[in-house]
Amino acid sequence: MNGAGRVLSSLAGLVYALILAPIAIVVALAFSADNFILFPPSGYSLRWFRALGAHGPLLSALWLSVQIASVVTVLSLVIGVPAALALAKGRFSGRDALTNFFLAPLLLPTLITGLALLLFFTPLRLTATLPGLVLGHMTVTVPFVIRMMTTAFSTLPDDIEAAAATLGAEPWRVVRRVTLPLVTPGLIACACLCFLLSFDETVISLFLSGPRAATLPVEMVRYVEGRTDPLVAALSVVLIVATLIVVIIVERLVGIARAVGK
Amino acid sequence: MSYLELSGLQKRYRDAVAVDDVSLSVEKGEAVALLGPSGCGKTTTLRMLAGLVDPDRGAIRLDGAEVTRLPAHKRNMGYVFQSYALFPHLSVARNVGFGLEERRVAKAEIARRVVEALAMVRLSGLDQRRPRELSGGQQQRVALARSLVIRPSVLLLDESLSNLDAKLRDTMRHEIRSIQRSLGITTLFVTHDQVEALTMCDRIAVMHRGRIAQIGSPEDIYERPATRFVAEFVGRANALPATRDAEGRVVLWGERLPVAAPAGGEFDLFVRPQRIRILPISEPVADGMARVTGKVLRSVFVGDHVEVLVEGAAGQIQVELQSGTALPQEGAEVALVWRARDTLPFPRETA
Repeated sequence: MNGAGRVLSSLAGLVYALILAPIAIVVALAFSADNFILFPPSGYSLRWFRALGAHGPLLSALWLSVQIASVVTVLSLVIGVPAALALAKGRFSGRDALTNFFLAPLLLPTLITGLALLLFFTPLRLTATLPGLVLGHMTVTVPFVIRMMTTAFSTLPDDIEAAAATLGAEPWRVVRRVTLPLVTPGLIACACLCFLLSFDETVISLFLSGPRAATLPVEMVRYVEGRTDPLVAALSVVLIVATLIVVIIVERLVGIARAVGK
Repeated sequence: MSYLELSGLQKRYRDAVAVDDVSLSVEKGEAVALLGPSGCGKTTTLRMLAGLVDPDRGAIRLDGAEVTRLPAHKRNMGYVFQSYALFPHLSVARNVGFGLEERRVAKAEIARRVVEALAMVRLSGLDQRRPRELSGGQQQRVALARSLVIRPSVLLLDESLSNLDAKLRDTMRHEIRSIQRSLGITTLFVTHDQVEALTMCDRIAVMHRGRIAQIGSPEDIYERPATRFVAEFVGRANALPATRDAEGRVVLWGERLPVAAPAGGEFDLFVRPQRIRILPISEPVADGMARVTGKVLRSVFVGDHVEVLVEGAAGQIQVELQSGTALPQEGAEVALVWRARDTLPFPRETA
C-alpha cells in the first residue's frame, strides 16, 4: 500500500470510529448495573431491560409509533407510488414543475413544517391525535416515496412496457403485470425506509404530540429531560436490534426479488 | 385500396421534424423495408404504426379501417424491438404466452400455441428458461415468437438484427424471411443495413430526412436510384464530376460519353464499381459503351473481389473485379469501359 492509500485508509477508519463510537457507548450503557449514566459502567446487568419492560409510558409510545409508522407507510405508498408512476412515465404539460413541487417539502426544514402543521392543526383539533401525527409524518414520507419511486420507474426501459402494450395489454394491465413486478425490490426498500423515517421522526412529532399522544422519540426526549438513568440506552439497543432485523429481512427479500426479476 | 395505408404521416419533436411526410401502401402478405441512415425517421414511422407514437398529421388505415388514433393495445400489431424488450421476470413460455393471456385465450390453447410458436423459431425445450439465461440470438427468437403467436395483422421489426453478430444475422435473415413467407404475414422492417433490406423484402422504401426518397423493388432501388441520396446510400458508387459539351453530351476526363447530360447546373455521374471493366488501352470500344482512360494506382485483394483504383485526368475511379480474373499491373495505362445505361447523372449537391 502506498502512502496516500495508507492516509486514506486511516482517515476512513477514523471517520467510522467517530460514527460508531457513540453507538458502542450506548450498547455498553444499556447493560449497566448503575443507577446513573456512567461510563464505563461499574458493573453489568440486564436490570434496565427489565425496567424498560415495566415502563408503561415508553411502551405505549413504542406501540403508538409502530402503529403510526405502519399507517404512514401504507398511505404514503398508496399515494406516492401512483404519483411517481405518473411523473416518471406520463407525458403531460407541467410535469417537471409538478415533480419539483412534490420534492419541495424534502428541502424545507422539518422545524418549519412542524410549526406550520401545529398552527394549521390546532383549530382542526388534530394535534396530539393519531390522524394528526400520521398526516404530519406524511408531509415527509410522501415526497420521499415519490422521489424514490420516480427514480425506480424512470430506470425501467420504456420498451418493455411498450412491448406489453403492443401485445394487447391495457395500460393498467401493463402496470400490474410488468411495471410493478419489475420495481418490486425498490418498492420493498422504499416501504422499509418509509417506515423508519416515520418511526424516527422527532421534530414534527414534538410539535404535534401532547400528553394524550406521544411517539417514541418524543417520549424518549421527555424521559432524558427528567432522568439520567440508562433506561433509554436499553431502549436504544432494542431499537438497534429491531432495525438490524428489518434491514436483514429487506436485504434477503430484495435479494430474492432481484434474483426472480433479472 | 391496399391492406395497409400510410398517408401524409408527420411527427415533430419540439424543434425537430422526425417524420415529415410519409405515404406508403403495403399489400397483404408483402414485406417492405424502411431503409435509411439513423435519424431519417424510419423508427418513428414504425412506432406510429404500432400506436406507440401519436402522429401530428396524417392517417393510418389497416384493412380499410382507420387506426390512426387507436391505442397500441388495440391494434394487434406484432412489434419486435431492437432491444427485444423481453419481460425479465417471466419465463420464455410466459413471455411468448403474454399476448394470449391478455386476450383471455383458454389455458390449454395458450400452452399449445406457445409450443407451436417456440418450435417455429426452433427454441423447443427452452420454455422454462428466463430471458437472461438465453443468448442474444435466442432472445431475438423469443421476441419474434412472442409477436407472431398473437397472429398480428402486421409484423413490425425494428432493427431487429443489428445486435447480433454477422454470422447469426445471416441465419436469422433467412429464417425470418422464410417464416414471413410461409405465414404470409404483412411485414415492415426498419433497417439501416442495405443487405438486410435487399434480401428480406419485396419492396424497399428508402427514407431520407423524414421522407421516402424512393420506393420500389430491390432491383429498382439498386439499378435505378431515383435520387442522388439513394444512389449513394444503397450499394457503392463512384461519384464523378462531369461537364457537358455544346451538343449536350456528357464529358468525363476529357472524353465524350454516349450519355445525355441532364439539364441545369453542375452534375456528377454515378457508376457502380462492379459495372466497370478494365481493358487494354488498344481495345476498340463497342457502341453504347462509355470509355475513359487512366493509370492503375493500386489493386487490393478483398477475398471475394479485388478493388482496383484507377487515376485519370480529373480524379479517381474505383473498379471492382471478381477475384480470379487477371489483375492489371500497377502503373499500367488502361481503358475503363462500362455500359452507357449504367451511368446515372445526378445534380451536384449544393449543401
